[in-house]
Amino acid sequence: MNAKANITRASLAAGAGLLFAVALGVRAQQNGVQHANNFTTTEYYEPPHQQQIKSILSGAEALPQPGGLLIIKQLKLEMFNPDGKLEWVVNAPECVYDTFKGVANSPGHLQVRTGDGKFRVEGEGFLWRQSDSFLTISNNVRTVIENGAIMNTKP
Amino acid sequence: MVHAQTNATAPAPPASVTTNSPDATRPPRAPTRIDSDSVDFDLTKHEATYRGHVHVDDPQMKLTCAQLTTDLPESGGRPSRIVAETNVVIDFTDDKGQTNHTTSDKAVYLYNVQNGVTNETVTLTGNPQMENAQGTQAGDVIIWDRANNKIHFDNPHMIFRQNLNGATADTNAAAAGTNDLSAPKKNDE
Repeated sequence: MNAKANITRASLAAGAGLLFAVALGVRAQQNGVQHANNFTTTEYYEPPHQQQIKSILSGAEALPQPGGLLIIKQLKLEMFNPDGKLEWVVNAPECVYDTFKGVANSPGHLQVRTGDGKFRVEGEGFLWRQSDSFLTISNNVRTVIENGAIMNTKP
Repeated sequence: MVHAQTNATAPAPPASVTTNSPDATRPPRAPTRIDSDSVDFDLTKHEATYRGHVHVDDPQMKLTCAQLTTDLPESGGRPSRIVAETNVVIDFTDDKGQTNHTTSDKAVYLYNVQNGVTNETVTLTGNPQMENAQGTQAGDVIIWDRANNKIHFDNPHMIFRQNLNGATADTNAAAAGTNDLSAPKKNDE
């Protein structure tokens, strides 16, 4: 497994981790902040790549709920590698994040694609578990892989 | 993609554009599509598992099964291991243009490059059968060596061949009669 692969996978996990971190931040302020509109949160890499954006999480609304829940609308998560290349983009019209359990879920739509758009997955209903980096898309899953990433004998 | 369509009908492009000619002459490859009821991405194990009514639509083959597990390749890469399980049906066209229809309980796709040599195989197990213009063949294991374009039958205990010279209505009877001809030996095609 080469470094590039590790970066890609690490980026996806890190992006989800960012979601977790943001949720924790909002939870800490729940008593003072009812909700946030058009928010964007940017995370940077650790040195020596501290000038590079690691991920950008944005949303139209973040609504804290009782029990440590956070409703995020128009979620968009972009993850970059240390070279600045866009690696993954995640879009969801709405999801609920449980800040205590570290679980995000929604009965709605989810889109995940690589930065170059050559690998795309979408479906209805999803569950993300932060603890073991596990994503389930529950229904009507459609995956598109461009340029013969699977079963392409002849280059 | 636009260049390929344009070059097919337009006069030869200027010299400055001809560097793209190899791509222009090769039609763009259609994407691979995987449809399923659900999918699990395990980022710890770096694998994806598709479940329920799995349909893979690839330019070189079509596959259906109940469950398909693939490793997650690096960006721009390709999976090195794909496992299809339960009621696996694969339809593909080989390099000779012949269509093949296979059924099995399990199919394992492996891809790797060692010392510059590409290894790419699909191994069918669990009552594997392959049907093509020559008939239906079965074995304990069928190995489709995609890198070398060979199909290997391990212990071909049943081989049905169509009666190529006779009426199609007699195909079954003739095929049954050829069982004695299928010697219990390894059979490469």
